[in-house]
Amino acid sequence: MKFDNALKKKLLKKLKSYMNAEAEQLQQEDDGLSKVLKKLKKKEKHLKALIAAERDEDEREMLEQELKVIHSQRKKGITLLSSLRKKGNK
Amino acid sequence: MKGTLQKVMLPTILVILAYGFWISPDFKEIAAGVAIFLFGMLALEEGFKAFTGGTLEKILKKTTNKLWKSISFGVVSTSIMQSSSLVSVITISFLGAGLIGLSQGIGIIFGANLGTTTGAWLVAGFGLKVKISAYAMPMLVFGVIMIFQKSRHLKGIGYILTGLGFLFLGIHHMKEGFETFKSAIDLAEYAVAGYPGLFLFTLIGIFATVVMQSSHATLVLIITALAAQQISYENALALAIGANVGTTITAILGALSSNEVGKRLAGAHLIFNVTTGLIAIAFIHQLLEAVDLISAYVGIAEADYTLKLAVFHTLFNLIGITVMIPFTNHLVRFLERVIKSEPDRYAQPKYLNESALEFGDAALEALRMETARVYAKATDVIAKGLSLDKKKIFSDAKLKQVIAQHARAIDYDIDDVYEHEIKHLCSAILDYTNKLSSADPVIARQISRIRMANQSILIALKDVKHLQKNMKRYIASDNPEISGEYNRLRQRIAKVMRRLEKIRASGETSVTSILSLDALKLTLEKNMGLLHERMNELIRDGNVSAEMAISLMNDSNYTYSIIHNLIQINHNYLKSEEGGETEAEHMIALNREEIGTVLADNLEIAEKR
Repeated sequence: MKFDNALKKKLLKKLKSYMNAEAEQLQQEDDGLSKVLKKLKKKEKHLKALIAAERDEDEREMLEQELKVIHSQRKKGITLLSSLRKKGNK
Repeated sequence: MKGTLQKVMLPTILVILAYGFWISPDFKEIAAGVAIFLFGMLALEEGFKAFTGGTLEKILKKTTNKLWKSISFGVVSTSIMQSSSLVSVITISFLGAGLIGLSQGIGIIFGANLGTTTGAWLVAGFGLKVKISAYAMPMLVFGVIMIFQKSRHLKGIGYILTGLGFLFLGIHHMKEGFETFKSAIDLAEYAVAGYPGLFLFTLIGIFATVVMQSSHATLVLIITALAAQQISYENALALAIGANVGTTITAILGALSSNEVGKRLAGAHLIFNVTTGLIAIAFIHQLLEAVDLISAYVGIAEADYTLKLAVFHTLFNLIGITVMIPFTNHLVRFLERVIKSEPDRYAQPKYLNESALEFGDAALEALRMETARVYAKATDVIAKGLSLDKKKIFSDAKLKQVIAQHARAIDYDIDDVYEHEIKHLCSAILDYTNKLSSADPVIARQISRIRMANQSILIALKDVKHLQKNMKRYIASDNPEISGEYNRLRQRIAKVMRRLEKIRASGETSVTSILSLDALKLTLEKNMGLLHERMNELIRDGNVSAEMAISLMNDSNYTYSIIHNLIQINHNYLKSEEGGETEAEHMIALNREEIGTVLADNLEIAEKR
């Protein structure tokens, strides 16, 4: 019986994920957090630009508030990610 | 249709009556007699209402479990109350409440048709021979004294006595009117013999009953006219048949706005009375012979046409019942087929089908769709509860202007929608989640989020109901401080609703929609702090009364809870499906404590400035 390379790779990947389910889970969480953090960073930049251009004081205050929330979310996200990675390294 | 008919009929009747009063004072007396009689019936109905809600219901429940029993109940209750319409109304209410079935209801209607004929006996046998107006006066006096009593039952008796007094007085005036009318115009000259007369007077009978909304009143009018020999005996019979058919038209008009149960009962009423009327017309000669035979047997004089009319009325209704009883079950099935129940589109789940339960993902999607539907309905209820328009809340118009445009409180029954639509759907969703319970922690987590979203919907609606009570009172208050505060509460909820709608709309494209809710949470906490400060100021400066301050304190808590739950609904509903990024968003979302820290930092910076 002959296996082609693509099939071999696929089977090996399945076997690996079966053997290492917890690591897979951690990797998934890591990916998710990284992606969301990237998006938050982008959003933070966008908000900063908006604040700089905003002339209405009330509106600017609202945007600044939102920026602070995003900042706190990023901080929390980074802490979560680093503890996740520590857990993964163990 | 009902509205148009009423719009055309009322002015026509008023004009005809006014013209009649102008040309004939006797006609005026007869019409006044009818009016007093009808007023008496209203008073009688009012009196019997005092005894419903207890005795009558208990009797009804016990005495309608068999067809013969329900027919007897119809006969007895209508004989006592002298109003088949009151009995029909009570029957419809019991049908609506599901206490009795349609066949029992039909039995009562059959019986009521027979029971109403006792009115003819009373008037023909007693009313015309005795000077009943002599009884009317003391009844009215005693009745009115009792109406002024505090006890509900004494009041009821008072209304019954007054009702009977007016009935007697009305009959007296009709009688007097016809007696003097006779000397001026002899209506008997217009009598039409044979079948044309039968049909013509049947139609007049129908018309008169539709106008007076009471076959009983028509019958009394026929008997008094017959006693004064203003109409011929044959024509009086035709009028009585017409009155029997006409009474169903009022029931049909009433049932137009009723539910399918009321419509079915009105349908049964119509079929019964039309069939009975057709039988009476077809066998009129045989019926007349039978009436003569019975009259001779019970000792009614040959020329006593009023009592003979009473015999005729009872006889043809009795024949109608005898003919219709074997077909009762067929009638029920026919009516159920023809008048189908309309399922409530909101109260019935749209997406939760049993087949989807076998496929976890499909079932979860069904749950999400159903929750979205409940949420859409709930936001509509919240907007209406705040006397606002949801479309305007979601528009780009300035919210301050929207609030100003809706300065008047609108009556809106949140309880009704809550009980019949939202609660029903939420419980269907919860039932579905129970059936879907899974050992898989990922699915279990998603189910739990959907459950929590529905729970938050219910809490938010309950809070709006509480808030609505004082809000309706204060938004248009003369005190600008309190009206300003209550309008601010409305604006705050509306603002959050608008923002949430925007987040939901961008949900497909923006991955951080769950995190966008955190800014709203922060605003909520910040505003609560500001409100407390302002409230203290208002109380200290004496701008609001203590009562207003307490209401405002309670209602600001309700507002907080509404907004908090609206955010929670979206937090749990938005992307309740599992996925790496969604899970990450749920992990990163700030909790109340963290929001508090951000708020404290904000305040510190503001103070430094």
